[in-house]
Amino acid sequence: MNTPPISSDEQATWNQAYDRLQNFFSTFALGDHSQVSHLTLKLLDQVRELHRQDSSCHPTTMAMEQAQKNLIEWLAANLEAPDKAPSQIFASGCIALLLSRMLNANPTAFLACPPPDNLRHLLRQTLLVTGPDLKVSSMTPRHLDYGPMLALAKQTWHRWNTKAALIALLFWTGVYFVFYWWLSDLL
Amino acid sequence: MNTSLPETAAAPRRAFFAGASIFLTATGFVLLLRSYSGQPVFWPDYIVIAFFPFLFGQISVGFILALFGFFDQLRGGDPLNVMRRPWREKEESVPLAATAIVIPVYNEEVQRVSHGIANMWRSLEQTGQIEHFDFYLCSDSNDADHWIEEECAWLHLCQKLNAFGKIFYRKRRHAINGKSGNVADFCRRWGKRYRYMIVLDADSIMSGPAMVRLVRAMEANPEVGILQTQPRMVLGRSLFRRALQFSNRIYGKVFTQGCSLAQMSSGSYWGHNAIIRIAPFMEYCDLPLLPVPNPGKRHVLSHDTVEAALMQRAGYDVWIAYEETGTYEEMPPNLTSLLKRDRRWCAGNLQHFWFLFARNIQMGNRLQIWIGLMSYLCSPFWLMLLIAGSFGAYDRARFLTFSADPEDLGAPKNSDALLLFILTLILLFVPRLLGILSTLPSVRLFGGFSRFLLSAILETLLSVIIAPVLMLFHSLFVILTLLGWQISWTTQDRTDSNLPFSHCLTLYGWQSILGILGQTLALFYLGLDSYWLMPIFAGWILAPVTAWVTSWHSLGQKLRSHELFLIPEESQPPPELQGLDDDGNSETQSSSSLWPQALLCPYIQALHLSMVRLRSLSHNSEEKTASSLIELRERLIREGPSALKPKEKLRLLWDAETVFRLYQELWSRPETELHPSWIQLQSESSKNPLLTYLITL
Repeated sequence: MNTPPISSDEQATWNQAYDRLQNFFSTFALGDHSQVSHLTLKLLDQVRELHRQDSSCHPTTMAMEQAQKNLIEWLAANLEAPDKAPSQIFASGCIALLLSRMLNANPTAFLACPPPDNLRHLLRQTLLVTGPDLKVSSMTPRHLDYGPMLALAKQTWHRWNTKAALIALLFWTGVYFVFYWWLSDLL
Repeated sequence: MNTSLPETAAAPRRAFFAGASIFLTATGFVLLLRSYSGQPVFWPDYIVIAFFPFLFGQISVGFILALFGFFDQLRGGDPLNVMRRPWREKEESVPLAATAIVIPVYNEEVQRVSHGIANMWRSLEQTGQIEHFDFYLCSDSNDADHWIEEECAWLHLCQKLNAFGKIFYRKRRHAINGKSGNVADFCRRWGKRYRYMIVLDADSIMSGPAMVRLVRAMEANPEVGILQTQPRMVLGRSLFRRALQFSNRIYGKVFTQGCSLAQMSSGSYWGHNAIIRIAPFMEYCDLPLLPVPNPGKRHVLSHDTVEAALMQRAGYDVWIAYEETGTYEEMPPNLTSLLKRDRRWCAGNLQHFWFLFARNIQMGNRLQIWIGLMSYLCSPFWLMLLIAGSFGAYDRARFLTFSADPEDLGAPKNSDALLLFILTLILLFVPRLLGILSTLPSVRLFGGFSRFLLSAILETLLSVIIAPVLMLFHSLFVILTLLGWQISWTTQDRTDSNLPFSHCLTLYGWQSILGILGQTLALFYLGLDSYWLMPIFAGWILAPVTAWVTSWHSLGQKLRSHELFLIPEESQPPPELQGLDDDGNSETQSSSSLWPQALLCPYIQALHLSMVRLRSLSHNSEEKTASSLIELRERLIREGPSALKPKEKLRLLWDAETVFRLYQELWSRPETELHPSWIQLQSESSKNPLLTYLITL
């Protein structure tokens, strides 16, 4: 089959899509580089086919949307949670993948259809407990009588005027020094 | 309940303590007054006379407490202390109860905290009683990197220790009321599930046997509301921290034991390394607001002393388990960190003034509050006393110079002044001597007698140099606090890092100038009579060098290799401290930002979504689609992670749907629509340290 020649710009966009997919699959820590390349190439082929039908979308965007869609569908099927929001499926599924440690031992199971039974079983039984059930109760401060200091302070707050206090302080300091030096000289 | 026996014993002890303190203070005061007799009294002398009783009273109290502590050590401990009562004979038969270990954190070094939890977990596992304990890591971190790292550390811990359902992580959205608010938040949510909580600081470590023993002590003594242990300072590497932990080890126990002997059931609570009976704590110990006009300053900053007072007001005892081993904490690594901490403590202690005259507070608590207040007020008082004393000496010298018959008119009462001087030296240095004497039986663990003695002398010299520096800073803190400058709850620096000399010069240089100026003036006006001021001026002049040199990690290690400032935990490290002082402790250490990985790495993202999901789905659904959030998201994509302010990062991370949307968009947008840093982060994402940390056990 003859494939039509592609321009260097187009080649660059497909290379970008390839790199992005490669990086994306690598973040799942499969531990098997060839499996990452295999998944990347397989998906890229799918996307090339889709791109021929609709070339308005950037290959990177198309490839990544397809990869994420495949991932969510695969996780939903494994978790048997079709009604949940994609973000919830993603969160539960990825946590289950991480905790099951299956991908490290069996990287080919990732996105495999149908997935191995033991993986499906492990994913369904993994549940992340971040905190125990709440037993909400109240904790409120009791009244504390601050005693005579509060009464004294309240009086001060009501009457206190910073500007007046500063002027008074400066005035009396001045008076003190004048008298002190005057008396010192006299005596 | 056996409350009657300690209460009857408490009265004579407290009477003796108060009587001896008052007697010593009065003796000093009389000697001071007598030293003025027969000579002219100038206005600065009245300031000296006014401040003297407070300051002399403070050192008298310290002296009596040290005597109490030494006496208690000689007789082998207080038989009435809650940890020495008959229940200890059948300790193993005392059942345990559900206990939460609560660790509030605020932008702490995550790997250190996580390692500490792992060590405590293993130690508890070895006791065979782990099923009674749950750990709660309660975070108030307001830094996105810390938040994401804490989540990963929590998951890693749970996996590594197989502790799902036993170690929990909670992140507060609004860090109201600092640490006390964080603990109260735990109590409101889960307090009813537990009978006790052991409150720890981020740098606290407790051994399993110690925690088990504390729970048993509480079970056997239902009248006890709080049982405080005396944590040992450990893991220091810089000279400063090693000297502090050495001094704490030698002198701290004598003072604490003395305090316990005098206070008995009105003991202190220091906010960590203590066990608390949750039900009365929740019922009686929520902190009241301060009656100040400014609503922003009504929160009690230093909560522990007030909580102890409230617990005792409710009829429960607070004891110090001073003999308890296996309880540790860390000290600030350098002088600057110590000052940062002191600024917070100073603001907190001065606030306690309100509780000094509050009704229904026990006398023991009032005394604690007074001692706490004076520990900072003493500095400006000393400063005033020094200034006034210098002016007084100058006036007197001038008077004698111009006097017609100085021998008759102005001859000072040297014998009384000398007696007062000797008495002051006794009050200051005898507690140190008692600390040294009480350590002699275990001197082998401190590097042997000669090294121990040399360390004690060096530590004394160091404290003499540092004391004037602290005096000036504490005076400044008191003034700033009284002027109403807000003190924020800052993270305590717990890492041993060398201070740059430029920093020391900037922060402490003014003290050098002040010292040189003061010394010159003193020599000019007072001549050789100013000799008694020299240690103070020397401390100020040397302040930048002291701060710089004592922060050296290498010097601390060098002295350790020579077994100087050695403590038993260094000569025989306990298992619960193992690995905590390793340099390679930071498995997730990275020069780049960690939080963007929550938007790129599927596992970190999934973990974060699981943590915030409940909250973000049930609250503010409109906010998720709010245009500001969309705008923020777009800015992050176009301008990169560093374009956002800390608060903006947190706002994004709190919204689960936004986080997920960002994950989708950051991966699917073509390069032309992404900031170049995202391309770099994507290519590094599979090798990011957090992911490696999560998948490696």
